[in-house]
Amino acid sequence: MTPFTYSRASSPKEAVAAVSRDPRAAFLGGGTTIVDLMQLEVVHPGRLVDINTLDLTRIEPLKGGGIRVGALVRNSDLAKDPVIRRRYPVLSEAILAGASAQIRNMATTGGNLLQRTRCQYFRDVHSPCNKREPGSGCAALDGYNRIHALLGTSDKCIATFPGDMPVALAALGGVVRTRREDGTERQIPLSDFYVSYGDDPARETVLAHGELITAVDLPGDGWLARSHYLKMRDRASYEFALASAAVALDVAGGTIRQARVALGGIATKPWRSAEAEKALMGATAGEAAWKAAAEAALSGARPRQHNAFKVELAKRTLARALATAAALSVA
Amino acid sequence: MTAAALDGRMTAAVGQPIDRVDGRAKVTGAAKYAAEFRPNRLAQAIAVQSTIARGSVVSIDTAAASRVPGVITVLTSANAPKLKSLKEGAPSGGHAGEDLPPFSGEEIHFAGQYIALVIAEKVHQARRAAALLKVNYREEKPVLEIEDAGASATYPKKNMGRDVQHSRGDAAAALAVPGVAKVEQTYTTPVETHNPMELSATVAEWRGERLTVWDATQAVIGTRATLARAFGVPKENVRVVCPYVGGGFGCKGSQWPHTFLAAMGAKAAGRPVRLVVSRAQMFTSVGHRPPTVQKLALAAGPDGKLTAIRHESTSSTSPVTDYIEPCGKSTSAMLYACANADIPQRLVRVNVAAPTFMRAPGESPGTFAIECAMDELAVALQMDPVELRLRNHADTNPSDGKPWSSKRLKECYALGVERFGWQRRTAEPRSMRDGSLLVGWGMATAVYPGNRWPASAIIRLTRDGRALVRAATQDLGTGAYTIFTQVSADALGLPVERVTFELGDSDFPEAPVSGGSNSTASVSEAIVQAAAKMKTKLGSIAAKDPRSPLSGARPEDLSLSNGRLSSASNAGVALEELVRMSGEEAVEAQAMVALEDEKTKKYAIHSFGAHFCEVKIDPLLPRVQTTRWVSVMNIGRVLNPKTSRSQVLGGVTMGIGMALMEHTVYDRRTGRPVNDNLADYPVPVNADIGSIDVSFVGEPDPVINTLGCRGVGEIGITGAAAAVANAVYHATGRRIRDLPITPDKLL
Repeated sequence: MTPFTYSRASSPKEAVAAVSRDPRAAFLGGGTTIVDLMQLEVVHPGRLVDINTLDLTRIEPLKGGGIRVGALVRNSDLAKDPVIRRRYPVLSEAILAGASAQIRNMATTGGNLLQRTRCQYFRDVHSPCNKREPGSGCAALDGYNRIHALLGTSDKCIATFPGDMPVALAALGGVVRTRREDGTERQIPLSDFYVSYGDDPARETVLAHGELITAVDLPGDGWLARSHYLKMRDRASYEFALASAAVALDVAGGTIRQARVALGGIATKPWRSAEAEKALMGATAGEAAWKAAAEAALSGARPRQHNAFKVELAKRTLARALATAAALSVA
Repeated sequence: MTAAALDGRMTAAVGQPIDRVDGRAKVTGAAKYAAEFRPNRLAQAIAVQSTIARGSVVSIDTAAASRVPGVITVLTSANAPKLKSLKEGAPSGGHAGEDLPPFSGEEIHFAGQYIALVIAEKVHQARRAAALLKVNYREEKPVLEIEDAGASATYPKKNMGRDVQHSRGDAAAALAVPGVAKVEQTYTTPVETHNPMELSATVAEWRGERLTVWDATQAVIGTRATLARAFGVPKENVRVVCPYVGGGFGCKGSQWPHTFLAAMGAKAAGRPVRLVVSRAQMFTSVGHRPPTVQKLALAAGPDGKLTAIRHESTSSTSPVTDYIEPCGKSTSAMLYACANADIPQRLVRVNVAAPTFMRAPGESPGTFAIECAMDELAVALQMDPVELRLRNHADTNPSDGKPWSSKRLKECYALGVERFGWQRRTAEPRSMRDGSLLVGWGMATAVYPGNRWPASAIIRLTRDGRALVRAATQDLGTGAYTIFTQVSADALGLPVERVTFELGDSDFPEAPVSGGSNSTASVSEAIVQAAAKMKTKLGSIAAKDPRSPLSGARPEDLSLSNGRLSSASNAGVALEELVRMSGEEAVEAQAMVALEDEKTKKYAIHSFGAHFCEVKIDPLLPRVQTTRWVSVMNIGRVLNPKTSRSQVLGGVTMGIGMALMEHTVYDRRTGRPVNDNLADYPVPVNADIGSIDVSFVGEPDPVINTLGCRGVGEIGITGAAAAVANAVYHATGRRIRDLPITPDKLL
């Protein structure tokens, strides 16, 4: 681990200022990713600005029916919140499908959005990696790439976004609220928050250096209660997804009026699938629609040597998640 | 002293499911593991590894590393003191995991080979400095896979001094007979890594020419011998201490380079040094189970009786060891009655770190292959898998003709069938359902040798009526502390509360490596024999005193029970009184039990068992769930039903992991492990394991030792992966012969 300085911010303003003025500074939330990567010598922040004592820990209703989730709400607290469980079951399920209880007790809403990939070559400093060391190459392209991405990849990087909660937030159409160095706030829809890898896989989000996530807003639509998260992996618990699906359906009289689909474990970012949503909209709820949505969602998949099975696995995962959501009895 | 003679009285503690005597120390954190010992002025070391798999180190620039605050020294092969041979020389004993001592040359044989040792005041300083070393390599193309290593193939005659090839009758001719039912298939198992919870670690301290080592080891005596050889000192100068082990599974059974490096570092730094093997390093530097390719051919008549067994195993080994994974010798060669058997063992060499013993080495992958093949034969014959095994039951050991000491395998099958409800199984694949889930029932035979090796123990009886019993054995978390306390208590006729059993110190009387499931059989016999000597000593003390109520009693009439030495006709004398009568503070008795006697040589001593497994599989999202399990074992006398059951639970759980998850991947270009952490190398979690029902049948083994007990550490994993794979076939109709059975293989 490279030596670093540590300080604790007493306000969002102070935190943003402290990180903005030092190009080697980083925020410290739950620490579940950054501390791990520092130990592995993958990242070397020279300064950690601890934001854990900031007042960003509330889950509160918004005018218009939505919910605001503070950036420092712990995963465990968000997953067990009764309003979240009732109105956005996909979010609660996604969180509980991830990590372990201990890690969820530490991980924060804002930090979890910025979780780094589990690509083994990214985590091994002796391997070339365009994400860790731009221009050095990608060891995963022709390496062992069973956990790697099918969607959103480039010839520079195929690293999978490993998280669960952000996949649910993508499906829900959450909006990330941030604070910038000049004191302004901005609101970034989840669908615009992550950038495609393209030529620079080191850049993962639209956040500027020093820009602090303060909250995530959830929309007020009542139909999001018909939502579900399904995660497939090699063991029953405590493992990253081979494929996962976050879905929400608005069904009336057997016809799908609105649909939200996001996929996890198979893409370089939480993968909102407009193609799948289009296939579902107006269709009759049933196996044919689920299959059509699954085909549409994976139509752009670009498998590599060891992850080709995930195309079929992701299709089946999505179809099952949709079927399960459609069958939910929602008050 | 015979088992029958002991039966009447040795039942007070032995056989009772008493709680672990070390349980409180463990859950409160009072139990100290190797890395927790902190001699004064302890320095911290980090071992640095080669990132290439083959070639040599041209240079290591240590300048930047040496400037890191707190760094004491950086050792490489350029400046490190040379160690003597680990393989041969005096004193004998122990087993180095790698034949080459660390830092003995520039040549690189595998990725992960240690090339430098950084010693600093604090571990983070050492780690930082390690990251700053600049290594210049001359690289060669490594050979990494079994299929690329054919040119190096050999058929070794011996493995650890024992024959490893086996042949009887004419299997080729029997396989060529027209009309026989046949199975000819290849089964493969991947690299598996032990991954005990406790990382391997060594704390080493020199005082002059005397070395003390706190080491996470399954063999304090073996480690003492190898360290003495490496540093050219008499073994009396070396003390190895290891009161607790947080799991070993074989990866702490040999002596690995980190142990020598800690001692070397302590010598170079002139102060104690601690070296902990990181989780990632556990994948390269303390062994693994090598991959196997097993070609099976079975032939049987219409009655199901086997006419031929051919089982050719190939395993890979490393340039730095000759380790063999002997898959057929303790499985296919002796499991079933068959006149014609051909069991060759093939070995190839790759540029991969040294493989080593891992829970049931050989038997674990070997039973996967033969027990799946037997299932396939049952399908071919349209015969129930249990019935097929009964028809081929071996009444004597078919590989050497010896009678079994105690087999009872038919009872294992029968009780397993009953407890599992096997009769309700419908034979057709995909014929059983639970709602939308496919249900599969599979079974397999379990088998493991009943090993007993030389062991000794000492008993010290003190004036407070307590016994301190010591042996240089180890407790890997298995319950050794507990069962040896029970054995000691009964052998001395004392309640367990008055017995303290200590282990894990090479200054104690010698006992074997805790491997091969031998310790229960070996050390319990040493305790029983030491107690017999104690009785004789106490008898002569009692006889010498004319006022003693036992004056004139014949030694053979005396017994130890209820805290007293007594005869049939006399209530006798309390043990504390006898110690006082001796005029000493304590009375000691020690026994050494040799390897084999004439009786044991005449028998084949093995444990047997049967596994029955239920899986449920979603046909569209096919992750295999093991929902129900029944294991029935004959391990001879069960010393403690609770700890014995736990060993089978652990073995079955590890077998389920082997069947469904475990798989170490090396990058095919660099040879470096790709998934060298517990997130990328899944082992089962609680949610993966359904109910496991464990039963023991069988009587005390009349041959192996006085108590008739065999070890139970390994048999639970044997056959377990096959039972899962057979259940998966029954559920899905898909025969997966390549482990692990991950969802992608069933899509």
